[in-house]
Amino acid sequence: MKIIDGYPDYMMESIKLVEQKREKNLKIDVPALTMEGREKVLKAYHPDFMDSTKREVKLGPNKGEMIYNGIVDLLESKSILDTKSVDLTKIHYDVDILIIGGGGAGTVAALFAHEVGGVPKDKILITTKLRHGDANSMMAQGGIQAADRPVDSPTIHYLDIYGGGHFTNKPELAKALAMDAPRIIKWHLDLGVMYDRMENGEFQELSGGGTSRNRMHSAKDYSGMELMRNIRDRARNLEIPVLEFCPIIELLLDDQGIVSGGIAFNMETDEYYVIRSKVTILATGGSGRLHLSNYPTTNHYGATGDGLVMAYHAGANLKDLDTIQIHPTGDAYPEAVVGILSTEKIRGLGAIPLNKDGDPFVFPLEPRDVESAAFIQECKKGKGLVTPTGMPGVWLDSPMIDIIHGKGTIETKLAGEYRKFKRFDIDMTKHPIFVYPTYHYQNGGVEINEKTETALPGLLAAGEVTGGVHGKNRLMGNSLLDYNVFGRRAGLHAAEYIKTRNVGKLSLKHIDDYNKKLDELNIKSDIKAPILLPEYRGKEVLARALDIL
Amino acid sequence: MTETDVECAKQDEPSQVTATVEIFIMGKRYDVPIGFTIMKAIEFAGYQYIRSCGCRAGFCGACATVYRKGQEQKLHFALACQCLVEEGMYLVQIPFVPANKALYDINDLAPEDNTILTIYPEIARCVSCNTCTKSCPQDIKVMMYIQNSLRGNIAKAAELSFDCIQCGLCAMRCPADIKHYHVSQLARRLRGKYIDPESKELNARLKELEEGKYMDEVDEMMSMDRDIILNLYKKRKIEAQGDLDEGADA
Amino acid sequence: MDMLYYPGCTLKTSAKNLEASAIAIAEKLGYKLVEMDDWNCCGVVASLTSDDLMHHLASLRNLIRVEEQGQDKVLVLCDMCYNTLKQTDIRMKASQSDLDTLNSFMDEESDYKNTVKIMHFLEFLRDEVGFATLKKKVKKPLKGLRVMPYYGCMLLRPREVAIDDAEDPRILSDLIKALGAKVVDNPYKIECCGSYRTIDQKELTSRRAKSISSYASTHDADLIMLSCPLCQYNLDVRGKEAESMYDGYSQLPTLYFTQLIALALGLDVESLGLDSHAVDPAPILRKRGVID
Ligand SMILES: Cc1cc2nc3c(=O)[nH]c(=O)nc-3n(C[C@H](O)[C@H](O)[C@H](O)COP(=O)(O)OP(=O)(O)OC[C@H]3O[C@@H](n4cnc5c(N)ncnc54)[C@H](O)[C@@H]3O)c2cc1C
Ligand code: SF4
Ligand code: SF4
Ligand code: FES
Repeated sequence: MKIIDGYPDYMMESIKLVEQKREKNLKIDVPALTMEGREKVLKAYHPDFMDSTKREVKLGPNKGEMIYNGIVDLLESKSILDTKSVDLTKIHYDVDILIIGGGGAGTVAALFAHEVGGVPKDKILITTKLRHGDANSMMAQGGIQAADRPVDSPTIHYLDIYGGGHFTNKPELAKALAMDAPRIIKWHLDLGVMYDRMENGEFQELSGGGTSRNRMHSAKDYSGMELMRNIRDRARNLEIPVLEFCPIIELLLDDQGIVSGGIAFNMETDEYYVIRSKVTILATGGSGRLHLSNYPTTNHYGATGDGLVMAYHAGANLKDLDTIQIHPTGDAYPEAVVGILSTEKIRGLGAIPLNKDGDPFVFPLEPRDVESAAFIQECKKGKGLVTPTGMPGVWLDSPMIDIIHGKGTIETKLAGEYRKFKRFDIDMTKHPIFVYPTYHYQNGGVEINEKTETALPGLLAAGEVTGGVHGKNRLMGNSLLDYNVFGRRAGLHAAEYIKTRNVGKLSLKHIDDYNKKLDELNIKSDIKAPILLPEYRGKEVLARALDIL
Repeated sequence: MTETDVECAKQDEPSQVTATVEIFIMGKRYDVPIGFTIMKAIEFAGYQYIRSCGCRAGFCGACATVYRKGQEQKLHFALACQCLVEEGMYLVQIPFVPANKALYDINDLAPEDNTILTIYPEIARCVSCNTCTKSCPQDIKVMMYIQNSLRGNIAKAAELSFDCIQCGLCAMRCPADIKHYHVSQLARRLRGKYIDPESKELNARLKELEEGKYMDEVDEMMSMDRDIILNLYKKRKIEAQGDLDEGADA
Repeated sequence: MDMLYYPGCTLKTSAKNLEASAIAIAEKLGYKLVEMDDWNCCGVVASLTSDDLMHHLASLRNLIRVEEQGQDKVLVLCDMCYNTLKQTDIRMKASQSDLDTLNSFMDEESDYKNTVKIMHFLEFLRDEVGFATLKKKVKKPLKGLRVMPYYGCMLLRPREVAIDDAEDPRILSDLIKALGAKVVDNPYKIECCGSYRTIDQKELTSRRAKSISSYASTHDADLIMLSCPLCQYNLDVRGKEAESMYDGYSQLPTLYFTQLIALALGLDVESLGLDSHAVDPAPILRKRGVID
């Protein structure tokens, strides 16, 4: 097999067809699918509609409901925490607000609790699994939605969110998302976020899948990084305390059954810390690293759904976890980057998906679930290609972007993407890139209301770990918005909530009860949850591993 | 694992391990599959990451790696998640960079010629050796953004440094002990906050919202029957499809 | 004609008026000053120790940039930068082995080939434009203005880089005459202004500024003309501070040679940054009819 410009020769053959038809394809508009058309392709090809991908959970608040297998596997496992080894009489950190997760939602919550809510910084503690900011929030490329142009309005944004979520969102959450959006952008500008601008000072706003107006605010294709590093820098300047490499592994309740902190686990020294708090904000993000339905993922290393597990153990209910978002344009080639995201902005800027014959087959900006299902369909029909390592996929004709917007557009607007492929000898300004859906976003999660309250008193939640904001499908650019809108609301509400809160005697009894229930139901599992980190060590090494040190 | 409709295996187990290369992780020899990133190769060799692994996609800077190949003179710098293993690599990852950040309140600053120099006076120590640029896995002109910070060109420093993922390799190598990525973070914040122009449209929308506009509209929509809102949704005009072009009604 | 120039950091921060006025007069004289691409700080103070090659990197890198941009000459406006760049150039021309070491260190750059001529802007006006030509272009001779020239150190020391006689320089006096003004010659013209002492010994620098300016005042000078941004800062800002240290003392205004040329050439006063001086030169310029 010969490699030409980064691609094996047989894939290059197909690229030739793409090139031959490029001029023609630039002129063709594939119409968007009708509602009926969308439903048809979803039902036939999207993993959400397959029986094999999920099952009923046998215990807990959502007993009897369908949830993705990988998550049920965790919910039906015993806790990783041996409650007997914990001494709850010794409190290591005593704070007003415990924030679990140092990604976007957690850090925004801390800032608002401190700066607006007036909670002293020493009374706030962020604990996080990796480093502060190692999170899905850092990885977003495309951008964040906010209706601020005259042709747009929060009402239209609301309709897009609600319809995009197949009308399964909690309306009050969708409303908060749309209505708070412009103020969030303003807050970012005040922090110093460098959004992409036009010469007249207005934002360069692109369209995203499923949105009816161009309202995607971006910062090159490092949007998430630009937001996260500004927000984190503010938190660092204010010296908000952060415990790194210390994930929370279980929540603490008090004798009233109110959430009152958590047990942190120092992954480097194996010690635990007892953290007592008047209110706890869950902001642990998503679960891509569970590889639900065996998809590769775009998510960061720590996205293992811990928040879902610990909240469920304590009695919170989950919502909409019978769906996940697969992102249509995960990288399918080269092998080294399989699963990593190629941003939707590539399509936003005009690149269109093509099959192995170089023909277009789907409107490029369908909602993500529909677009993904269409890609899978095309591959099932034999119109996709398969890489040397067995990944199926279709083309995304990136060179179109420079033809439409002028030479150099890709290198400036998509600097990160360009660099990524260049590292593997692929020049996306000359050749298309090869993509296939990848597990991207956990649509549902712990159910919240517009104040970010969960079903459990004392526990607030914000960001990707929550359920209800996006219903059964999230649109691009709405989750960066989500973590800001609800992170802010959580911080503000927490600052109020702590004023009247007295914490009773700490307890981990709920964990023992949960484990007992599993025994009663005779549910067996060889894992313990939450898992904290995915297991990627070589199979042969694991097979020979001894547990002696 | 449950069966799936995807023919592919999950991310970290390529279905074919073809051939291997010999690498040295902190001096110890391992055979790892060709085509693996350094990160996946280290895992394949049996290490489980706690540090030095974050986004796995070139965005977080957690996986800074230094290597030399065989008898080569030059030291190389890379992101473990973005660089393929090559025969004879001697490598180590740098999990943490001790680089103190100055504390400041952005609201108290102004984008003046000497603002950055006042907060990070050590940038005046730069001897223009360009080592920082040569160490940057993002191919950023690091020395030039320090130089622009020094001469008060905040906008340029911000622009040149925009793709910085704060891996810290530059700061580890600089003979003048400059903490480049903190310097450029300040430059970008100054630019975003003070230099880039205002958006009139955003300000207008904020004013409308303050006056309570759209509240009723959205509330009305929230109380609509499903059929009605479904119909509204279907009839949306899509800007990206040109529906708004001929002065069409928003 | 296009002339490549190296600005240096100071021209981008505290000496913007020097840069602006230089560009304006060059244009009037038929030259376009083109800023070098991707220049870096000159390294500031040239290193005099022989084993400290590292400190020549900064200068040398700029010279490589000049070659890269296809030029063999670069104009320098700041005295300090001129001095530093020139000393590196001399060292590189003198020692091939030092050059080889630096070239091999900078393996990301093309080798420096020793082809660049470094010229101070004053030198350029004297040797390439010619003060006689300049005189012909004068629209508003600075008649009646009594100007004291001040050189400081960087244009004249060490001798190898000097653009004029180190003990008795005349380039500024000749220029003042060409502009139609009166020269107030003085023994302080090659005294040090206090230089970097301005950072840690403000008062010492203020005292030096006072003694230089006092000589000028007692000899009826209207103002001091100079070329170095650091001298300008010390005479102007530290001199102004001296006013609060000594009762009844008042510091003379200090102007760059480029600003005075611009006034004589009849250029737009607004663009010369006359309002960015600590000691306002406007009253005396108005009094002598140089500006309205
Ligand atoms: C590649 C990629 C691209 C994306 N692009 C976009 C986009 O263009 N627009 C958009 O709107 N959205 C995008 N998203 C989605 C969006 O980035 C995320 O949904 C959002 O940032 C989630 O924010 P969060 O704060 O809830 O979670 P995160 O940012 O993931 O933060 C969660 C944090 O919690 C930590 N944590 C996890 N478990 C524990 C524990 N047990 N204890 C303590 N800490 C824990 C994690 O390590 C992490 O730091 C993208 C996501 C990815 C992965
Ligand atoms: S490594 Fe340090 S001294 Fe060298 S060029 Fe970079 S900032 Fe300047
Ligand atoms: S500038 Fe420095 S911290 Fe930023 S990416 Fe480059 S080497 Fe890393
Ligand atoms: S793991 Fe984030 S950049 Fe490599």
